[in-house]
Amino acid sequence: MIRRPAARSRSTEVETAPVEDLGTDLAASTATDHPWLVIVWNDPINLMSFVTFVFQKLFGYSKEKATKLMMDVHLKGRAVVASGTRERAELDVYRLHEHGLWATMEQSG
Amino acid sequence: MGFGAPFRRRRDGRYAVDVDPKLRTVLASVAQQLGPMIDADDPATTRLFPPAYVGEDTAADEEGYRALVDGALRNHHHRALDVLVATASAETLTGEELDAWLSAIGSMRLVLGTRLDVSEDMDPPEAGDPAETEYAVYDLLGMVQAAIIEELASGLPDEGAPERAL
Repeated sequence: MIRRPAARSRSTEVETAPVEDLGTDLAASTATDHPWLVIVWNDPINLMSFVTFVFQKLFGYSKEKATKLMMDVHLKGRAVVASGTRERAELDVYRLHEHGLWATMEQSG
Repeated sequence: MGFGAPFRRRRDGRYAVDVDPKLRTVLASVAQQLGPMIDADDPATTRLFPPAYVGEDTAADEEGYRALVDGALRNHHHRALDVLVATASAETLTGEELDAWLSAIGSMRLVLGTRLDVSEDMDPPEAGDPAETEYAVYDLLGMVQAAIIEELASGLPDEGAPERAL
């Protein structure tokens, strides 16, 4: 697994940061306001049941939601399956890559 | 595979494996061939290492992602293949070992599918086509993978887990 110290939640950092660091911390969080989107692309090899299973397993989605996302991937060519901070999105992409899914990430907005 | 489910979770948490010995040999053999292909960066293995960043001005981001994960992703694929080879003839598997089978077989299908250039609406190769055997293996791997998913998915809650906090 990949580990990145920067992946710690920002709220924890703000709570524990000395007062004089709060300004820069808030500035940094404003710059990353637009969430990063995790996108899965259609591919002709992975089974539909496998893609649904991976969405349930990795993201804890209900079978219904995972199936809908899988169908979006299958019929529309791509679907946004998760969003969050850049670090979070990168970790999600990595976990999808571990499972052989064709996943990319991009910043919204 | 017999008439029962090829993979079945037992009360003790292990999975009983009812898979034909010849098919087990095929699984181990393909898995053994794939490891060296990954090491050699064989073009057919590119699908195991997809880009995280696509589009304009993402070259530096992609380079950073690759530097961060490439070793871990290679290890992940190798470890899964190694587990499959080591347990190919096992009567029962732990949950972790079955996860490794699923991962390894998925990788094998991605590589074979890339080599066969499969598409969603393609017809299987005709008899006598040089790709016939490889396609048959690809198809067989899909059936094994589907059987594993069926058993593992039945262990997941339909309603899902609480949505994670961002």
